[in-house]
Amino acid sequence: MASTSKDVPAVVIQDNPPDDLEPGACHDSILNPTDSFEEFASEMSSSLQERNISLATKSSTISEIQSEIGENSAPMKPTKSSDDLQTKDESISASTSNSNLTEQNGDDTDTEKDDYLQSPELVNKEKHVFILSSAGKPIYSRYGNEDKLAGLCGVIQALVSVVEEQNQDILRSISTNDCKAVFLVKGPLILVAVSKSDESETQLVLQLTYAFNQIVSVLTLTQLNRIFEQRRNYDLRRLLSGAERLIDHLLIFMEKDPAFLLGAVRCLPLPEKARENITNAIQTTCNKIRDLVFAIMLAGNQLITLVRMKKYTLHPSDIHLLFNLVRSSESFKTAESWTPICLPKFDSTGFLHGHVSYISEDCQACLLLLTVQRDAFFPLSQAKHTIADKLRRSNCLVAINDALNRNEELPTTNPLKHIGIPEIRHFMYKCKSTAQLFTSDPISLDKLQDYRLRHKEGGDIMEKKVEKLSDIDYVRNYRKFCSSIHCTSTPAKLIFRSNSCDTILAWVTNGFELYVTFDPLMEKDQAIKAVDRLLKWIKKEEQRIFIMHAPTF
Amino acid sequence: MWNPNMDNRQMEKRVVVGRVRPTWARNLPEAREDDEKSEAEAGVMPHSEPPSPTETWEQHSKHEDKYDVFGKVMLLGDSGVGKTCMLVRFRDGTFLAGNYISTVGIDFRNKVVTVDGVKVKLQIWDTAGQERFRSVTHAYYRDAHALLLLYDVTNKISFDNIRAWLGEIREYAQDDVVIMLLGNKSDSGLERAVRREEGQRLAREYQVSFMETSAKTGLNVEAAFAHVARSLVAKANPVDPSRLAVRAQPTQEQRSSCPPCS
Repeated sequence: MASTSKDVPAVVIQDNPPDDLEPGACHDSILNPTDSFEEFASEMSSSLQERNISLATKSSTISEIQSEIGENSAPMKPTKSSDDLQTKDESISASTSNSNLTEQNGDDTDTEKDDYLQSPELVNKEKHVFILSSAGKPIYSRYGNEDKLAGLCGVIQALVSVVEEQNQDILRSISTNDCKAVFLVKGPLILVAVSKSDESETQLVLQLTYAFNQIVSVLTLTQLNRIFEQRRNYDLRRLLSGAERLIDHLLIFMEKDPAFLLGAVRCLPLPEKARENITNAIQTTCNKIRDLVFAIMLAGNQLITLVRMKKYTLHPSDIHLLFNLVRSSESFKTAESWTPICLPKFDSTGFLHGHVSYISEDCQACLLLLTVQRDAFFPLSQAKHTIADKLRRSNCLVAINDALNRNEELPTTNPLKHIGIPEIRHFMYKCKSTAQLFTSDPISLDKLQDYRLRHKEGGDIMEKKVEKLSDIDYVRNYRKFCSSIHCTSTPAKLIFRSNSCDTILAWVTNGFELYVTFDPLMEKDQAIKAVDRLLKWIKKEEQRIFIMHAPTF
Repeated sequence: MWNPNMDNRQMEKRVVVGRVRPTWARNLPEAREDDEKSEAEAGVMPHSEPPSPTETWEQHSKHEDKYDVFGKVMLLGDSGVGKTCMLVRFRDGTFLAGNYISTVGIDFRNKVVTVDGVKVKLQIWDTAGQERFRSVTHAYYRDAHALLLLYDVTNKISFDNIRAWLGEIREYAQDDVVIMLLGNKSDSGLERAVRREEGQRLAREYQVSFMETSAKTGLNVEAAFAHVARSLVAKANPVDPSRLAVRAQPTQEQRSSCPPCS
């Protein structure tokens, strides 16, 4: 029952909303809309030499900003040298190496290791992710204890290096009947995903790249490369201790949130006026702070507003890492924090310094103020309090809370009901030019909660069919469609597929991507009419569900 | 703030165990009995390093809570020794059971404590213990007036690392910074890996104060911060009793620093 774009009339396009812009599009975007898929396409096609060159040189945006700001740049120059954790810390680092690691490294015998691969911790998982150094040292495993996986890591390292050295080629993937292993070599690290799910190779590479970027975000690429230049067999877990939970959480997050699948950012639906007030409060408070590069307000993995330094934009994948950081760090809830953050797409060579805090006890919106100045904590702390006061006075906190608590009166809380097309079960829409996303049923916070628990117990392959699909299941169903639409060789423009469970329509134009799940017995022309009404609704509500301005300081 | 001509350096370092009322405190109102007691139990060795003439102290707040002395306190130590738990116990009187909350970078909190009738505002910096955050935390060592250095009595390695931490402190912190060594998780009973005497010996060797604490039961948590606050007051107030008298009535002091406008 599958059919492709050809036999669907082009009437739909003419029926588009009167405005020449697609829903959600605006002339100025806060986000850098570069499609991640284009990048991954290039990643997949690059040769061995290209790969080595691409990681070697990149100019630093941070030092560019610092030199523009001028006077203060002199004492700060050592972004590179003083952020270097290696220099002065030898004395401590030599002895600090995590106690658990040394103990557990102890007396594992070979037989134990072999058995370990069959242990319930590892068997029957839908997807594994392993990260190791190019010397074959384990760094991270999604399940189980990576210490006991030294043997497996040795095998992975051998596979990669044999293909590289003997065949002058890159090992990209191995497919078996029910299982795909995808390899990604990035700088000094080897990342491997072993998946029994229906995700495509590109989607798995995308996930591995995110995991790599998460590590870069914690260490910077410069430092990561230097560590392994100095000591090829370095145990990176020492520097990553505490960051495993970031990778854990990121991997779970990626499975559930379509934002990763589409390379887009989800915005918190807010009345236009409220968002404007919030943006103004940030702008007026922060325009005197010269070194501030980005001010970002977010809540529940959704963007509220982003104010930026002129000329600089953020890539959605950097914002995803920030979402992940905020989501996985409980400590931000209890105090104002000051922390170094590297945004790999923005500048992988250095750290931005971030003031991170929740707006108030009664509002779960989190404000991140990112600067190039390493000692700006106190001015930023002051700014945060001023912003919080302004928001409280202008009733913006109430608006944010209403949106977060999904107040029934808001049209965006239950869009399907509001649109009034009963045949539509679920949809997700991405505006390409602004890299923003809207879905009919935002993945609520509690579904991602207890991720530790899910991580321990979840991930197993489920045998029985689930009765009622959750939004996460809908998104999982879109994966296949998404990968045929983004297929580099023969991309599909429109897919209409109907089976006994449901009917799915996936449609991509220059301006947007749309995925809709209908009832099973939906006819094509009916579906097209419904989609048309849906687009009109999105257009009508665009000011609320998207960020339509790109404010700067 | 300090009179550079006044030779404070004559004061010698003393190691006193047990209940003691320092010279500078004699003109201050009686301290709360329980503070003194817990201190005595813990065998505190007051660290009475003379203050440096260059030290700058902010004596008064412009807004919010009033206080007489202000100090920046930094919590240091390996990851997982209980720095954040210690702080939460001190600030909110609760224990973060169950989840391990790892600090990212540095967290900032304020609390005003009253010791011997003097209000001390502590700005407490809770640092991440992980190695990769060292470069961030180093930048803040120099500004700190007091350091609480924690180890975990059930984790020998965290204790062994204390020497390295003290080395770092020597390198990056002010020379006259108040240092206090704390053996946390003292409620752990059988799991204990570091004996109390070992902690005491190390503290004596480096001439820093020492206590064993438990963020879980609250043992000595108040006392540790009270001790730090008291040391800060001591630093802010030289031994001269007449100056002390002024310091005890801060409002007067403020007026006197401002020329009469008539």
